[in-house]
Amino acid sequence: MNSPAAPASGAQSAVERYLTEVSARLPGSPRAHSDIVAELHSGLVDATDAHCAAGLPPAKAVQAAIDEFGDPARVADGFRAGIAAGLARRCAVAMLVTGPLVGALWIITAVASHMAPQHHEWADLSPGLQVGVSLIAVAAGVTACGALFGIVATGRLSRWLPALPRRAPAAAAVAGFGAIGADGLGLALLGVQLATAAGRLSPWPAAAAAAASIARLMFARRAARRCLAIRAGLT
Amino acid sequence: MRAEILKGHLDGILLAVLEPGPRHGYAIMEALRDRSAGHVDLPTGTIYPALHRLERAGLVRASWSTAGGRRRRVYELTPAGRRALDSERSTWRDFSAAVTTLLQPLPLAARPQ
Repeated sequence: MNSPAAPASGAQSAVERYLTEVSARLPGSPRAHSDIVAELHSGLVDATDAHCAAGLPPAKAVQAAIDEFGDPARVADGFRAGIAAGLARRCAVAMLVTGPLVGALWIITAVASHMAPQHHEWADLSPGLQVGVSLIAVAAGVTACGALFGIVATGRLSRWLPALPRRAPAAAAVAGFGAIGADGLGLALLGVQLATAAGRLSPWPAAAAAAASIARLMFARRAARRCLAIRAGLT
Repeated sequence: MRAEILKGHLDGILLAVLEPGPRHGYAIMEALRDRSAGHVDLPTGTIYPALHRLERAGLVRASWSTAGGRRRRVYELTPAGRRALDSERSTWRDFSAAVTTLLQPLPLAARPQ
């Protein structure tokens, strides 16, 4: 974080302490908000220069710049909603993009295993599969709705919505739980098929679909927990 | 002027400061002080989250630039930001006219007996 205009080492460490205090109060990893810290650092250097130009000695200019920036807790609080929106948007986009891909793998598995309904007749499916597929459709719908709302609430359309910072992480968490439900049900149906009619299953598509669902389920679980944790820190 | 008084108007004020051209965060704060003759003097650290919020809403665009060996994040209005500024100005004119009228003392003749 050195800069050509950086003040002397004692004063520099005061700036570093201030930035460390802000960074420690921001949710997520320090790497995730390195741009915020870099921007605050450049602002502090500019403020120090301005105080020096006004006649303060360097050490006092640094302290004046830090005082001018204000309470680190308040500065960090100001960024919380933005960081939460960024996380919620990334999670929502991931859920929305991976859903159709994982779904396509399951459909390929069903077709390759000759378990898809013939001539699109729903009644061709066994009652158990009908219930399972219906529940998966509901979970996928919940995922899509949560993800779309999370994307809308964090994008350019957000300026037309009331400012409710907790809304986007909640929507992304709903999308995550929907994905957990959809993938969990898909894997459960696969388990039932393995137990009752393993010979009919086409092994490679089934293995690929199961691996994709397990990976998505683990990602969705982590994403939903992170969204709920960051939401809890917002007011 | 306290931050609480500015609440709800800070976005419009920031857009107005950026109207003449791109500025970095500290230059925006200095322009706020200069243009308000020192009446608007927020903690500088609170300007940055507000700028990031405007960026997410698509009203400003930000990019890193290097000048004189110093790396800074520079903000500029987007077309949507210019439209939002026009709307803020119109809303403010109506609001301030209404509040000015309400705060004026009633002439003696118009006061209830």
